[in-house]
Amino acid sequence: MNSHIAVELTGVTKRYRGTTALDAVDLSLRPGITGLLGPNGAGKTTLLRILATVLAPEAGEVRLLGRAPAAAAPLAEIRRRLGYLPQEMGFPRSFSCFAFVDYMAVLKEWSAAAPRHEEVRRVLDLVDLADVSAKRIRALSGGQRRRVGLAQALLGAPDLLLLDEPTTGVDPEQRVSLRQLLSAAGERSTVLLSTHQTEDVAALCDRVIVLDRGRILHDGGVRDLVATATGRVWLADAPDPGARASWRTGTGKYRNVGAFAPEGSERTDPTLEDAYLLLLGSRAPVTEAAA
Amino acid sequence: MTAALRERPAPPVPSVALRSLALLEARRYLRSPIFLIGVGLLLWTTVVATGDFGQNVGVTDPGDQDFLPAFCLGLLGVFVGHQLTRSLDASEEAIGASPSDGVRRTAALCLACLVPGVVALAWVGWIYAALAVGNIPLSATIGAGARAAMLLSGVVAAVGGPLFGVLVARWVRFPGSPLVAVVVLAGWVLVSTVALALPPSRAGTLLHLSAPLTAWSSADGPRSPAWVAGGSPGWYLGYVLLLCGLAATAALLPSATAPRRGRLLRLLALLGVAALACLTLAVLPDPVRIPL
Repeated sequence: MNSHIAVELTGVTKRYRGTTALDAVDLSLRPGITGLLGPNGAGKTTLLRILATVLAPEAGEVRLLGRAPAAAAPLAEIRRRLGYLPQEMGFPRSFSCFAFVDYMAVLKEWSAAAPRHEEVRRVLDLVDLADVSAKRIRALSGGQRRRVGLAQALLGAPDLLLLDEPTTGVDPEQRVSLRQLLSAAGERSTVLLSTHQTEDVAALCDRVIVLDRGRILHDGGVRDLVATATGRVWLADAPDPGARASWRTGTGKYRNVGAFAPEGSERTDPTLEDAYLLLLGSRAPVTEAAA
Repeated sequence: MTAALRERPAPPVPSVALRSLALLEARRYLRSPIFLIGVGLLLWTTVVATGDFGQNVGVTDPGDQDFLPAFCLGLLGVFVGHQLTRSLDASEEAIGASPSDGVRRTAALCLACLVPGVVALAWVGWIYAALAVGNIPLSATIGAGARAAMLLSGVVAAVGGPLFGVLVARWVRFPGSPLVAVVVLAGWVLVSTVALALPPSRAGTLLHLSAPLTAWSSADGPRSPAWVAGGSPGWYLGYVLLLCGLAATAALLPSATAPRRGRLLRLLALLGVAALACLTLAVLPDPVRIPL
């Protein structure tokens, strides 16, 4: 496995009309799967777009796969080794599944037809779309379309794989299937997985970054984050008004997530979601950064 | 899920990557329903026109049939070029992260616009074959070279229309923009034909030949003898070819960054000067109209 740093960000800042999407973010990523969590508007998509080289930061330094993407030649070299699934990916109406991924393969410089078609079949097989490869994309379900987007990102087994909510609209069986796929990709590549699905991060990632209002709230091991919630999750017969979150579970008991479990309460093991909720609950009040 | 990982291809030389993309875009062009309708229309109108040659000798010349590919492939091609360019907008973000930048993608689209040109060249071959087979006498007023230039300007218009569509798609983003582009093109051509109704003059020839498509012969009335307008068909062919170059270069500009943008701007200026020179040379010959 390549142990080189694939992503290095130093003081990266991006603003949209006075709103700070990223605020002096420092980050480095090595091979493996890193989860990126955060509420809507936290800056996750902006971060991924900068890493995908489709958006330039206003300030700060970006190095991807050992190169700065400022000049044309290193930018092309980075893009040859990059796979990107955007958050909102549309498709041309008339393309079949195969034709679209084939088109993307040509854009990724697979010029010779025979190996290109073999590669397209391989990635469609990886995402379980081989059976519908001749179908028009507009005839596919939302989950299948998402997997078409993922297939194009996987072309050429990229060294840096950036996935913005890849499991949106995907059914549970397919989600497990995609987890297998991504865990295999993480053995050889640097994968950054932006998602709202904490269970995907818990299942796949060894490291998690929590972004909020353009700043990194947490950057560390998934277990470390979960450990911060130990002793702060408890079951009770009634919701606790002092808890950060409280909901009735299938057993009829209320799961309370809060600062402190009351004395004598039935404590339970925290999940990544609990820890994430507590982390966001502990954040500072809204400041200039999000104004 | 267990398929082996493939090695990435070695980075190709830019021309190979461009050629692959251009071939793919050409295949998309060939499958465009609007293009296929245009080809069908060209076939039908040409069958009618070539049937007419034998019966109306002296009234018009085959060299004046350039409007057929210009309309069927060029004008309709504005829609095709525009549609091909914009059809991948929905995937723009994923495409933007690929090593093929906007300039290469636009260049490939411009090369794909040669597809209707190839069809139009075949059409020119058909016209000459029909003339030979029918043993149809041609007007001595128009020389063989001039006639070929007139017909070839229709081929250039068949390429120029789709190039204009790509240009509009790269620069303008509002619903109905290709329709507006077609109206502008058609309007330009119609305005230029006004000159044919005026007494012959160099100013009139300039107005007449400034359009990207022109009619070379006309008559002063339904029963009047037909005549050939002044001007040089050869230099006019050069002018419309350079207009195509201008359209392609201008289409590349929005995606280009420095220093490539600077080079494209210089090329644009050079092509513009050359086009003006060709137009001037096309207008210089005696504007007097010669009966067919």
